[in-house]
Amino acid sequence: APVEIKFSHVVAENTPKGQMANKFAELVAERLAGKVEVNVFPSSQLFGDNKVLEAMLLGDVQMAAPSLSKFQKYTKSLQLFDLPFLFKDIDAVERFQSSADGQKMLTSLESKGLVGLGYLHNGMKQLSASDPLKVPADASGKKFRIMTSDVLQAQFEAVDAVPLKKPFSEVFTLLQTKAIDGQENTWSNIFSKKFFEVQPFITESNHGVLDYMVVTSAEFWGGLDADLRSEIKAALDEAIAFGNGIAADKANSDKQAIIDSKRSEVIEISAEERALWVTAMKPVWAQFADEIGADLIKAAEASNQ
Amino acid sequence: MVRNLITKLEETFLSLLLVAMTLLVFAEVVMRFGFNSGIHWAQEMTLLLAAWFVLYGASYGIKVGAHIGVDVFVKLLPKNAHRFFTLVAIGLCLVYSGLLLYGSWIYLSKMKMIGIELEDMPIQKWMAMSILVIGFAMLIIRFLELGWKVLKHQTEGFGMHDEAEESMEIAKELKAMEEQERLEKERKDSDRGDRS
Amino acid sequence: MTTAALFIILFACMFMGMPIAIALGLSSVTTILLFSNDSLASVSLKFFEATSEHYTLLAIPFFILSSAFLSTGGVAKRLINFAVDSVGHVRGGLAMASVMACMLFAAVSGSSPATVAAIGTIVIAGMVRSGYPESFAAGVIANAGTLGILIPPSIVMLVYAAATEVSASRMFMAGFIPGLMMGGILMIAIYIAARIMKLPAEPFPGFRHLGKSFIIALGGLMLIIIVLGSIYGGIASPTEAAAVAAVYAYMVSVLGYRDIGPMKGIAWQNEGESAGSATIRNILQMLWAIPKSVRHPEVRKVILDATKVSLMLLFIIANAMLFAHVLTTERIPHQIAEVIVNWGLPAWGFLIVVNILLLIAGNFMEPSAIILIMAPILFPIATQLGIDPIHLGIIMVVNMEIGMLTPPVGLNLFVTAGITGKNMIWVIKACLPWLCLLLFFLILITYIPQISLFLPEYIDHLNGY
Ligand code: NA
Ligand code: NA
Repeated sequence: APVEIKFSHVVAENTPKGQMANKFAELVAERLAGKVEVNVFPSSQLFGDNKVLEAMLLGDVQMAAPSLSKFQKYTKSLQLFDLPFLFKDIDAVERFQSSADGQKMLTSLESKGLVGLGYLHNGMKQLSASDPLKVPADASGKKFRIMTSDVLQAQFEAVDAVPLKKPFSEVFTLLQTKAIDGQENTWSNIFSKKFFEVQPFITESNHGVLDYMVVTSAEFWGGLDADLRSEIKAALDEAIAFGNGIAADKANSDKQAIIDSKRSEVIEISAEERALWVTAMKPVWAQFADEIGADLIKAAEASNQ
Repeated sequence: MVRNLITKLEETFLSLLLVAMTLLVFAEVVMRFGFNSGIHWAQEMTLLLAAWFVLYGASYGIKVGAHIGVDVFVKLLPKNAHRFFTLVAIGLCLVYSGLLLYGSWIYLSKMKMIGIELEDMPIQKWMAMSILVIGFAMLIIRFLELGWKVLKHQTEGFGMHDEAEESMEIAKELKAMEEQERLEKERKDSDRGDRS
Repeated sequence: MTTAALFIILFACMFMGMPIAIALGLSSVTTILLFSNDSLASVSLKFFEATSEHYTLLAIPFFILSSAFLSTGGVAKRLINFAVDSVGHVRGGLAMASVMACMLFAAVSGSSPATVAAIGTIVIAGMVRSGYPESFAAGVIANAGTLGILIPPSIVMLVYAAATEVSASRMFMAGFIPGLMMGGILMIAIYIAARIMKLPAEPFPGFRHLGKSFIIALGGLMLIIIVLGSIYGGIASPTEAAAVAAVYAYMVSVLGYRDIGPMKGIAWQNEGESAGSATIRNILQMLWAIPKSVRHPEVRKVILDATKVSLMLLFIIANAMLFAHVLTTERIPHQIAEVIVNWGLPAWGFLIVVNILLLIAGNFMEPSAIILIMAPILFPIATQLGIDPIHLGIIMVVNMEIGMLTPPVGLNLFVTAGITGKNMIWVIKACLPWLCLLLFFLILITYIPQISLFLPEYIDHLNGY
């Protein structure tokens, strides 16, 4: 019988991640028919993001692509990607991820039994809110929903905002009723989750990155024979490149769709205003330098050139 | 005596969990609305309390007959047949609890081996989830007890929770209240009668 | 094959009298072991996920707790007084007032049998005293009591929201108009019957008295405002609103009305006491009563009752999620949907099938369990046929209402029999004419989706979609 790879993710099939997973399944079916079979389970059908890594360690899921923030209890170094204003755009992110340092970070989960196979982009994060945010002082005292991440918490505290953890299922209602003032997300998430309908202002801050890591379990990966492993990896790399292409297009088209909807005003900030945000949030780097590694932060910053 | 004490402890524990969950969520609302701030560990804590509540509560529910089921059909059967089916059902319940206990053990051992913490609280995940093993082990104990009772002819079925019966308690309370009011009114009327 | 195994094990276990929760869990685990290569460890993981990752579900224990405090007697009585003072003077007014009281109580509580017990105990005896036939009184109350799950908040709707990931607040909004409409239909029917049967009217107590009974009832009525207001007014999500409701219900029943707990029998103002000193005394006594509640047997009993019901429901839900997990990974709803779509059933035909299935299930099972088993199967089919998930939810809820009135398992029948002291046959006969109204109402709800969808869509519109 062929080796089964269950690929479990939490988003719809038409998203960049969903299409990347389907592409991977397609490529494997073409090239490794009879040897490997990839079954994709979208929309949290198998497991949610909080449990999928555990299920992988138990051997019931072979591949998943959670967002990088989800790994904070498995390794501290991946918190790097949550640092505010570290990368100026998605190309810089790409440069760093494909550098030797970036590739080395894929192995940072090994002590916990997981292997990173590659990074997948969602995009750069923007700030949305019920009031216009131009300078850091505008965010002061406002409540922002964050994913569970110590870095993101520190990031909002750095501008005197109030970070709140709320389950994703409640976020829309809380934003709609203004119980929470704002949130940060990529263009494609703001569009697909309809946040732009309940958030009248979106600041194009590009202040952070929201990326995923495709992971597998060390036990499963090590158990494959080397040829098969490299063929699967090749198919995956191709699928990731395909997914990244879609993600880049989508970031642009979703941003345009939001502007066209006229439901939300997109605020562009000047270089001076942006500098204020950077000054306010950059101290967060020092706060986490010990956990992440100062050299790594430097290397990441260097990828902006 | 000891049994009563254990039941009291279990009841207090479960009630406390429910109250703690309610107050935590309430406190979050008060903090957010009144003080413009949040409790960063509240969400994780509330959900963890919920897991302990359900997983521990399941076995307590067997003991006091809080679960619901379809017993209209077995109740139509002669007593012995009813007892027989109840014993088979208890056996299957033991299979269920046993399988999940086994699965939970493997799961927790793995989590202990990896040794990761909860997201917001400095507690080992396997410890926070230990209720899986405790809960299913308790279920096994309660089913064995129930099976013993059926064998000893002390009961025939699971003693299902009856929402109708529970609602009847409200009715009883209200009737008592009305009665009391009537008596008080009579007393007042007769007082007034005495004075005139 | 897998489908057959799953359902045969489920029903065999259920009919042996096993707790429904475990029947659901065992059939799922067995199917996983037999037909898939998932490990038992991942089943346990899934189980832990089901109990610890669904924040929205916590609204269920919170609303149960709040209902438990409000069902302790006093609240119902004050709502009834207010209802009688407002509509009692119409012909058949006492019966209409009873329906109105049921509607008000439904708006603060999430359970139907509790509504029947709380309102029925007082008003059935009252109606009989005023010259109504007892079967008329009993039938009206047993039916109006079903509104407990249609008028928000509703435990059954929360369960549906959990099973389908439809928004709970939208479900609540959708139940609002159908609830008012169903109460209205009952009242009109009562008025017509009252004309024919020459039923009495109560004297109008005057506006001053009406105002007074409204203010007294306000303590309970405020909960409606708290629940709806905090969800739609920007304070809280449904889960949070439920927690606020529970805390408020405690305060109203223990510190406000003082029907239970450490302040029982303490007057708000003693004879000859000045307003100022009464205020200070009350504040001090309340502060002292809060820690005292912890040890007070009546308060503890209310919490324990809520605990039992909550853990029973949540345990069923956790197992039902395991069941739903098997359904989705084995693509069972998909297969059933294909069969039904192949029959070429139009949406309206499918809805007939849905209603018949649910009415049959309603004869034997408790509403939450039915929803948890049926919703994951019906939901994808409905979506494919273009039926709005919210509309499907309301149809399911109305079917569950009817199920509460049909033998052999009908919670409202049992409670009504208990209150009146009559046998089941008498109660069933008493409910029958009103049950026909409810069936008529079901047809309206099924084929006029706008009744359910108008309000949630209107609110969306207000928010500018
Ligand atoms: Na209700
Ligand atoms: Na029934």
